[in-house]
Amino acid sequence: MKPVELPQGTLEMLILKAVSLGPLHGYGILLRIQQISGERLEILQGSFYTAIYRLERRGWIRGEWGESENNRRARFYSLTAAGTRQLKTETAKWTDMAAVVAGILRKKAGEI
Amino acid sequence: MSLLAPIRKLWHSIAPRTHSDVEEEFRSTLDAYQEDLIRQGLPEEEARRKARIDLGQPATQNETYRDAIGLRVFDELGGDIRYGLRALRRNPGFAAVAVLSLALGIGATTAMFSLIYAVLLHPFPYADADRIMNAHFVKTQQPDVFQWFTLSEAQLDDLRLAAPVDSVLGFTTNGHLEITNDGLPDDISGVYLTKNAETFLGVRPLFGRMIEPFDAGHPVVVLNYRFWQRYFGGDPHAIGRTLEMNHAPYTIVGVMPRSFAFNDFGGVGDVYLPASLMDAVANGPAPTYLPWIKLRPHVTVATANAALDPIVREIMKIHSEASLAWHLGLQPIIVPYQQDLGRTLALLLAGVVLLLIIGCANCSILLLARGRTRRHELAIRTAIGASRWRIVRQLLVEALVISCTGAVLGVAGSYWLARLPLVLSPDSFPAESVIRINAPILAFSVALALLCGILFGLVPALRLSRHDSARMLPGRQIGVVAAPAKHRWSVLIAAQVALTLLLMATAGTAIHSFLELMQMPLGYDPANVMQLGIPLHVDNPASLQSREARASYIGQIREKIASVPGVLTVAVGTDATPPFSDPVDTESSFNIDGTGDGEQSQARVMLVDQQYFAALHIPLLQGRLWSTDENSSGDFIAVVNRTFATRYLSSSNALGRQLRIPALPNRFTASSAQSTARRQIIGVVGDARNDGIGRPVVPAIYLPYTTLMRQYVDCFVRTQGDPLTYLHSIRAAVASVASDQRISNGAFTLIEAIEHDALYSRQRLFSILFGVFSAMALGLALVGIFSVVAYSVAQRTTEFGIRLALGAPRAHVLWIAARIALVSAAAGIVIGLAFDSFLGAVLAHWMQSAFATRSLFAAAALLALSAFLACLLPARHAIRVTPAEALRHE
Repeated sequence: MKPVELPQGTLEMLILKAVSLGPLHGYGILLRIQQISGERLEILQGSFYTAIYRLERRGWIRGEWGESENNRRARFYSLTAAGTRQLKTETAKWTDMAAVVAGILRKKAGEI
Repeated sequence: MSLLAPIRKLWHSIAPRTHSDVEEEFRSTLDAYQEDLIRQGLPEEEARRKARIDLGQPATQNETYRDAIGLRVFDELGGDIRYGLRALRRNPGFAAVAVLSLALGIGATTAMFSLIYAVLLHPFPYADADRIMNAHFVKTQQPDVFQWFTLSEAQLDDLRLAAPVDSVLGFTTNGHLEITNDGLPDDISGVYLTKNAETFLGVRPLFGRMIEPFDAGHPVVVLNYRFWQRYFGGDPHAIGRTLEMNHAPYTIVGVMPRSFAFNDFGGVGDVYLPASLMDAVANGPAPTYLPWIKLRPHVTVATANAALDPIVREIMKIHSEASLAWHLGLQPIIVPYQQDLGRTLALLLAGVVLLLIIGCANCSILLLARGRTRRHELAIRTAIGASRWRIVRQLLVEALVISCTGAVLGVAGSYWLARLPLVLSPDSFPAESVIRINAPILAFSVALALLCGILFGLVPALRLSRHDSARMLPGRQIGVVAAPAKHRWSVLIAAQVALTLLLMATAGTAIHSFLELMQMPLGYDPANVMQLGIPLHVDNPASLQSREARASYIGQIREKIASVPGVLTVAVGTDATPPFSDPVDTESSFNIDGTGDGEQSQARVMLVDQQYFAALHIPLLQGRLWSTDENSSGDFIAVVNRTFATRYLSSSNALGRQLRIPALPNRFTASSAQSTARRQIIGVVGDARNDGIGRPVVPAIYLPYTTLMRQYVDCFVRTQGDPLTYLHSIRAAVASVASDQRISNGAFTLIEAIEHDALYSRQRLFSILFGVFSAMALGLALVGIFSVVAYSVAQRTTEFGIRLALGAPRAHVLWIAARIALVSAAAGIVIGLAFDSFLGAVLAHWMQSAFATRSLFAAAALLALSAFLACLLPARHAIRVTPAEALRHE
């Protein structure tokens, strides 16, 4: 299957989702997004950390130093309460929009 | 925990993560990725490379981080500022001129603002000073005629009950208290304050305490700061010591701060005393006080006037018909200063703003001129990807670096510049206004610096950032192409020259009218005459109660002073000090026999002796002066001045006419038996200024001073040489009449009296300050012209070299080099001249002096000459270029 390109601004939503399943370090988030998407998402590497920094700055995720699975120091991110709320509204917005767009695209000539 | 959480959150949102923290995290991700790649079978070196390509360099990660959280702009600004400072250091000449241009403008503007702040916005140290009112009655028909009134303690209490009134302070001044435990008697001024003084004024004492209610009846005294400095040398241990005044001991309980100089109306006190001590000092009826009324918050002056008018009438029991022509007029205590100073300060502010604009234009010119040397650098930056906004920002930041440096210097300088007007014209400003650099003034100067930086930086920045890199990069080719046709700076130079001319013309007008004022005939000769106040001594008033006793006592003192070697003439007068800038008495009405109703006839009544005219060199024009005998009786005779004779007696001979002055005596004086009876005019004297200098002489009637004796007289002493040097021997002579008879502090010469005249000191202030401003402006404009020509000559060295090598006449090359600057300066002068009629109207209104066309042309000529020189000096370098030099230049 061809990799899917991410629309602008959705990377942050995906990071929130990835972190909502449990604390993860940066590389872990990258892996999890790829894993959930079935390896179909090509994340722009350069923008990845920019997105993480921004989310942390807004207080939606919180970073804390801990130990990784192979006993390395790594920074683990977890979702804050504000982040949980944000993920909820973003998800609702996205589903709404996708439904509307899909509905429009599904219409056939006679139905309009 | 729950309490700390928001604080921690706030801290996190402000404080960014550290450099190493960001890098360490990134490295751990990088390593994890790299290991994954190795696990997938890539060789280690390859894996390392791929990880960095995919994720980025650890070294630049911090930049990515700061960019992401929005801090990058600060980093770049920091870089711009450092770069700007470096650029200034590289060009110290340019930096010095630019910074100095702004320092002058910003310094002068800040000084003027701090003066306005101190004098008009916050002149008083009192609590709720904006609610404190002077109280007087105003004549309904003539709002500028008013009458103060005083109230007794009981009446003050009644007034305090009125609805709009928050509190009332009563005060009265005794200007002739005497310190008696210190050798020679010393004359000081004491202000008696009602017992609520501490809460009403709300000023924290420097040491000790203010007069408190429990001081009633106790002999305590609070010192004025200046008096404390003068008399106790600023000793903090003065508290608790005893000050003996009028032979009674007083305990010092406090010292007031420097800003407290209560008050300008009754006279600033040296000491403050409880009102309850008034009886102990003053004889006679129950003491009365001038009221200061503090209104309740949100009560307007008009409401208060309407509400208090009937109450004050009731309290004072004024019910006469005549009083209906008057109404109560409360006046915020700042108003008298606003009236006098508002215009002066507005005009000075306009002057410094012009100076500031000229300084800004100068910086713009310098930046534009220098910008040509920076084109190459800017072109490279554009070529490697700097946006136009980025370059504009860089140039603006450099401009701001200049303006802020200028502001720092300017604010430092403004500290003493702001004091200059107070030194030059001390009587026009409230005694209590203290000039200091405080938060509002600093905020003002910072705002000014930013504004200036943007103002003068924006045009050059926009202009320099516009060039496209392709056209600019090969800029190192031989510069024989004629310089760009458009010169933004030529417009700026014209504007700068025009504004400079405006300032110079204003200064010329100010100086012209000041000189005119100084040359105006006074009608008397103030040189070598001084005035001494002789208070009739209070220790034993009973012996001097009668008018005759006082007159003969003063006669003795006069004789003694006259016998001092070097003293030429001694005269006596009461409130008769020319030029009467600030008359104590307004004019009195009189009737002349044989004419109709005398109601409209007003003249100033001057109480003097017959030597007054000799002492002041006022000539006798007709008739005679009165004799010594007539002087001691005081009645039946009068001498008038020429204005009186021509205005009221024009049709016939003045001598021998009779007049009456019905309103002459008042309750504070001992008057002669026939003081209001008919008086014959026995002489006419020349006009001497008696309504301030620069204002027409008003009709005057001179009467023997014995007609109306007050508690004091003035002696006018004409001496050989400087009169103040005779003060000591005169003191001794006076003491020989009565050992405890003193001379008031502040003997002054009549020259000093002129210098304290409001018009005189204001015109002198304008002349000096505008002279300084226009000199600064001229300097700035010349520096601007000079540097523009110098820059363009330096830039076109090659061109001039080739022109000269090809045989161009030197005069022609000189003309080319100086042409644009010369033409714009000339244009500026023409524009400035075109503004003169407008300026004339402005000055007539604001400076109250006629516009001097002569001084405008003189200023224009001076400006033209100096601008010509400023063009020519640097342009001369153009004709000195040798072809070899021109070639080396590339």
